[in-house]
Amino acid sequence: MTRGRTRDATLLMPGIAWLVVFFAVPLAIIFVVSLGARDQFGGVVLDDLSLRNYARALEPDFVPTVANSLRYAVLTTVFSIAIAYPIAYWISRYGGRRKTLLLVLVMLPFWTSWVVRTYAWMTILRDNGVVNGILEGAGLIDQPITLLNTDLAVVLGMTYGFLPFAILPLYVSIDRLDPALVAAARDLYASGRAAFWHVTLPLTMPGVIAAALLTFIPAIGDFVTPDILGGAQTTTIAKVIQTLFLSSKDWPFGSALGFLLIVATIAGTVATLRILRREVIG
Amino acid sequence: MTDHDPRPTPETMAMPIASGNRLSRRRFLRGMAAVGAGGGAAALLAACSSDSGASSAPTAAAATASTQPASPSASAEPTPAPTPESELYVYNYADYIGDDAIPSFEAKYGIKVTYDFFDTYETMTAKISSGNSGYDITFATGVDVPGFLARNLVQPLDHSLIPNLVNLGPEWQDPGYDPGNAHSVPYMWWTTGFGYDTERISEELTSWAALWDERWKGKMAMLDDYRETFAVALIRLGYSVNTIDDAQLDEALALLQAQQPLLRKYTADDIGDLASGDVWLSHAWGADVSQVATELPSATYVIPDEGGIRGSDAMVLLSGAKHPIAANLFINHMLDPQVSADNTNYIYYMGPNEAAKAFIDPEILADPTLNPDKAAIDKLQELLDLGPDLQKYQERWTKLRAGA
Repeated sequence: MTRGRTRDATLLMPGIAWLVVFFAVPLAIIFVVSLGARDQFGGVVLDDLSLRNYARALEPDFVPTVANSLRYAVLTTVFSIAIAYPIAYWISRYGGRRKTLLLVLVMLPFWTSWVVRTYAWMTILRDNGVVNGILEGAGLIDQPITLLNTDLAVVLGMTYGFLPFAILPLYVSIDRLDPALVAAARDLYASGRAAFWHVTLPLTMPGVIAAALLTFIPAIGDFVTPDILGGAQTTTIAKVIQTLFLSSKDWPFGSALGFLLIVATIAGTVATLRILRREVIG
Repeated sequence: MTDHDPRPTPETMAMPIASGNRLSRRRFLRGMAAVGAGGGAAALLAACSSDSGASSAPTAAAATASTQPASPSASAEPTPAPTPESELYVYNYADYIGDDAIPSFEAKYGIKVTYDFFDTYETMTAKISSGNSGYDITFATGVDVPGFLARNLVQPLDHSLIPNLVNLGPEWQDPGYDPGNAHSVPYMWWTTGFGYDTERISEELTSWAALWDERWKGKMAMLDDYRETFAVALIRLGYSVNTIDDAQLDEALALLQAQQPLLRKYTADDIGDLASGDVWLSHAWGADVSQVATELPSATYVIPDEGGIRGSDAMVLLSGAKHPIAANLFINHMLDPQVSADNTNYIYYMGPNEAAKAFIDPEILADPTLNPDKAAIDKLQELLDLGPDLQKYQERWTKLRAGA
């Protein structure tokens, strides 16, 4: 901290360069394209720049898909944290010598392609799939339940996919918590539950927030899961953007929707962080 | 699952299927065949009116009526034999070629073929649009050939290297989308109708209206292909599948929006969805349903009474191709009667190769779902290149897909 500011800034250069090349520049390109128009073959024409695509984007046509995206992202975030917190807690408190191994196991699914893993859920969830097979075999149902191509399948697939992103920040946060604080609370006659609610959870809230952001942000932009596990009624805004780029060949309009989605995500993230920081960290 | 369904299978409804299990793999995601810059069928007549289904009545009938004398059945070799490059890069759908087509080509010319698959037609068009994809040959929907040509994505073929062109049926010698086959050579043609599992749905379905039937709610799928899916609505409404009339297209959109709550999905994998039992009734390509039937014998394909769609794929030589001689020789090889017949026997799609008929499995030739007769073909319309008006479909497709 006592070193010169210049040297600190030098250390930031790789990060800034990364941010500029892989975020600011692409975002600028998307913005410029979003002001253009499409040509006959789906190319982009930039000689008549206007905000027309933003006017189209704000038409009510896209409300249902935005609602779908928000619903899936919120549910995925809630479920991910609800599942990840106990796992992270257990690894941190009871993992002992095997902590590293357990964390590697959390990361293990990343060794397989995301799309392949999502396809595996198709096999599990389809009408003749594993789940229905077990339920029918157990005599619990006599007709298959439709699981695949539903909201449930989409939220399940996303929660499965983003769970490691929730576990890791939570683990860091919980592992850093000094057990003596919990012990002190117990000494002062707090029940186990009270100690958790009043000591452990508030002190690990930064981890919860990081986990929420790392889950919510990819979930709101996910089009692969709704595409593979979803059905005719589960279209998300990200899927619409993908359709605009690939099928409809309307890059400018897709760029406008994409730009709005990115801006909304950044604004939402900043706002959430501000509110939470004020309330949680004080 | 079928164990729990007491409904009888009406044997009479089971369409004959091409024999055997030669097809061990399914052509995964074949469903995307015609998605993209305008899926659809070959214009066999240059003069086809773009606005009338009736006048676009196909001449592909000739392909099935086979009244034309077959061209020489021996494969012709280009003379003098040029020196081809030592490599060739081919980009195609998965499982859309016979299992010996590539090895026999490699053995014959000593050319090493790198054969890659695209998962969706859109992936392919996106990749070749750069003009530097590294591939020499890809497979385009017939009606897209003019668009590819206009964007300089394809280059002229060297007909002196493709003497097997004479094997093409007469109606394929001069297709409307590419006069004289200057830039493309037809590969396979298809029909679009619907397939269903007769064990699940015991009544005989003959109309597109079945796909709006509440009784199969949650068990139906339409193709994730805007031209094909809009075509179904337009056919139901009695309009041309190539209409550019906004009012007619709005009606079609309303009809599809009414259907959407009944659908399980818009499928990119009609084969997998029908075969797995997730979907009982699906908008589908005919040859795909035949492939389903190898796993699920109760699957049957219908060209509805109101009519359906037919189209074709064509081989094109990409502009950036680094191995043009090998590519032309490859196209010539694909037109070899035996190779072409082997392809059809393996993938169940009918080719345009008149001389190949002698080698095609008689069961395939006799199967009305794979090789429809003239009466059936006359009910089919072609999806034509709509130029800038394609946008009218694309915009409505976005609205349809965003609607839920």
